[in-house]
Amino acid sequence: MARRNSAFYTLALFVALLLHSRTMAQVVVNDFSLRNVDGKMVSLSDHKDAKGYIVVFTCNHCPFAKLYPPRLNNLYKKFAKAGVPLIAISSTDTVVYEGDSYAEMVKKAKKEHFLFPYLYDNTQAVARQFAAQKTPHAFVLWKEGGKWVVKYCGAIDDNGAEPAEVKHRYVQDAVEQLLAGKPVTVPETRSIGCQINLRSK
Amino acid sequence: MKLKILLIAVMCGAVMSASAQYNTLVIPDTLSGTTFNLNIKDTFKQFLPGNQTITGGINGNFWGPTLFFNQGDTVHMNVQSYLNDSTTLHWHGMHLPAVMDGGPHQIIPPGTLWQPYWKVTNQAATFWYHPHLHTMTEEQMSKGIGGFIIVRDAAEAALALPRTYGVDDIPLALTSRKFDASNAIDYTSSHYGDTPVVNGTLHPQVTLPKQYVRLRILNAEMERAYNLGFSDNRTFYIIGNDGGLLNAPVSATRIKLAVGERAEIMVNLGSDAIGSSFDLVAYNAGQEFGFGGGEPNTTGTFGSLLNNRNFNVLHIVVGATTTGAITAVPSALVSNTYLTAADATVSRTLLVTDGNPGPGNPPFNFDHTVYNFNTINKTVHLNDVEKWTVINSNVFGHTFHIHDIEFKILSRSSHPVGAYESGWKDTYYLQVNDTVTFVAKFDDYADPIHPFMYHCHFAPHEDGGMMQQFVVVDATGVDNTGKAAGGFSLYPNPAGSRLFVSLEDPAMQVYYVTITNAAGRTMCMLPRPQLAGGIDISAYAPGTYFLQLTDELTKKTTVKQFVKQ
Repeated sequence: MARRNSAFYTLALFVALLLHSRTMAQVVVNDFSLRNVDGKMVSLSDHKDAKGYIVVFTCNHCPFAKLYPPRLNNLYKKFAKAGVPLIAISSTDTVVYEGDSYAEMVKKAKKEHFLFPYLYDNTQAVARQFAAQKTPHAFVLWKEGGKWVVKYCGAIDDNGAEPAEVKHRYVQDAVEQLLAGKPVTVPETRSIGCQINLRSK
Repeated sequence: MKLKILLIAVMCGAVMSASAQYNTLVIPDTLSGTTFNLNIKDTFKQFLPGNQTITGGINGNFWGPTLFFNQGDTVHMNVQSYLNDSTTLHWHGMHLPAVMDGGPHQIIPPGTLWQPYWKVTNQAATFWYHPHLHTMTEEQMSKGIGGFIIVRDAAEAALALPRTYGVDDIPLALTSRKFDASNAIDYTSSHYGDTPVVNGTLHPQVTLPKQYVRLRILNAEMERAYNLGFSDNRTFYIIGNDGGLLNAPVSATRIKLAVGERAEIMVNLGSDAIGSSFDLVAYNAGQEFGFGGGEPNTTGTFGSLLNNRNFNVLHIVVGATTTGAITAVPSALVSNTYLTAADATVSRTLLVTDGNPGPGNPPFNFDHTVYNFNTINKTVHLNDVEKWTVINSNVFGHTFHIHDIEFKILSRSSHPVGAYESGWKDTYYLQVNDTVTFVAKFDDYADPIHPFMYHCHFAPHEDGGMMQQFVVVDATGVDNTGKAAGGFSLYPNPAGSRLFVSLEDPAMQVYYVTITNAAGRTMCMLPRPQLAGGIDISAYAPGTYFLQLTDELTKKTTVKQFVKQ
């Protein structure tokens, strides 16, 4: 209707389509080095024979992210020995959320028996590099020609609060397809959870 | 084991038969007393089968508790935001100091406690609270942040009206949402939802007793208006407008409510058979141009599957009569003394302007002036009675809302002022080619620096800049801004669980206190704090903090450092 917003949304739609077509092209991420809850620094290059990685941006406080640690443990157990380890990263603004401080991350990882590294992205540089939006937000990386190529990004699966009702295990399906040498049929979904608030630099 | 399977089977059966068509209407929880704890947070809700929907909640997961205030009480609000973004919480319709109002200037940063308080002087009526952060209102309201306020007073209590909350006195927050393929709320592709949502319930059903019931209806939409009636066209009685009960009930078969408006109605279920049912319906088909949601399109920025058609809002099943049932509509309600045009000493005119489609055109606004956070558009003198005329000869309808006061509508150019809108109002539907004049008294609260808002309550319009601000000033006051800021000290320092403020002049009034930590996070915002008992800092982590104090007289701010042990 005759409203000023229509032009804006036409433009927004155009930009969204442009971004969408961009994401269809190959996206490569650089290695990083972040402190794990055990005090050690962790990088993608640590595992020399890793075929790929499951990188999940998550955090302590988000009610939706809190639903996923058991599933993250299962993904780690399932794929680490196949050469696709899982790494969790917290990029939450700790000025705002004291409950996401490094000390609290250490406590949570211990209490909930995290099998996987839980890294503290205190400058939010890694979240910016990945353009991580939400907690949780999953990325499946695959090593191709010495580069880390994003093969999947989005939700872990399609039901947070009812694991028994999950119909699509997006991350698991992507990793299994990659391990089988097949293309990923669903390379992108909408990540669902709490917004990762990026501090202005 | 067999019993367990049977139980599961029975439960599934019950759920399926109930959810085959309807869900039980959520009646929001209640909070009462004089201290109210409201925790705003990012959360999620199971709206649809499959994945959960990310929502914003206050103490819950979509639409907050109903707050019961008694007229004459001083209410203290502990608003703690755990959102990832800044927000504000506005007490829509409440008459209170501007610094407590929760408009765009009282920004609550993430992780911050805001403690406004005020004496309840409003008449018994249905109000509400919602976010009001400029440019973010639609996003935050879409997530479900908001709730009802019900004010009680002696005049209302003396009447034989239904008032058992959740039984014969039902709050209904009407809105709609659009969900995307992942069940997320989509507020960007259209400003109109595709599915009605009442108190956070999709396809709601409520059982109401076989007697007169009272519905407190709020249009909590982004832009859609509702032309409400019942599916059997039964007569109902409008007993209250936004700001109070009417002098006498008004019978009707339809009532239009635009965004932000409330109405209290009574409807008789006494002649219905127990177990029978009917619907509250939005008769939105074929409305005049500019009626929100009257557009014909089902897709696009202003598209919706509910546009320009009638749709069910609430399925009502008639249940057993309760003890103490109300069996009649009172012939008279309260005696309001309304202002008249003759009372006004100041007249103002506002023109709805711009909003034409096309790139580069300014958004909807008033008098070709888009909202500017730092511009005071009007100055009103304390205790003045003013007559405001708002003219809409523009391209679409709007709802006009003004903070601080309740007003009386004097005239409309589109049609005579209806009996249905003859009471105290704070929001009204401004049709296309309509000129509406109202009169109001700006009493009690002057503040030269903190403004009140007036704006279109269509969330996309106010976010776009169809909003201006006014201050109420006490012209009889002395200008003290040249004086030195009031001195104070903090003790003990280092402090334990409570921090005390010692004022050099014990008579000094404090306008505002905020405390920030060394990282720059705002811990608390305390408008006009009562400091005698100290400030509770027991939950603060050990470290260095900064207390900023603004004194009432000079409005100057002084910062002092303290250490929490």
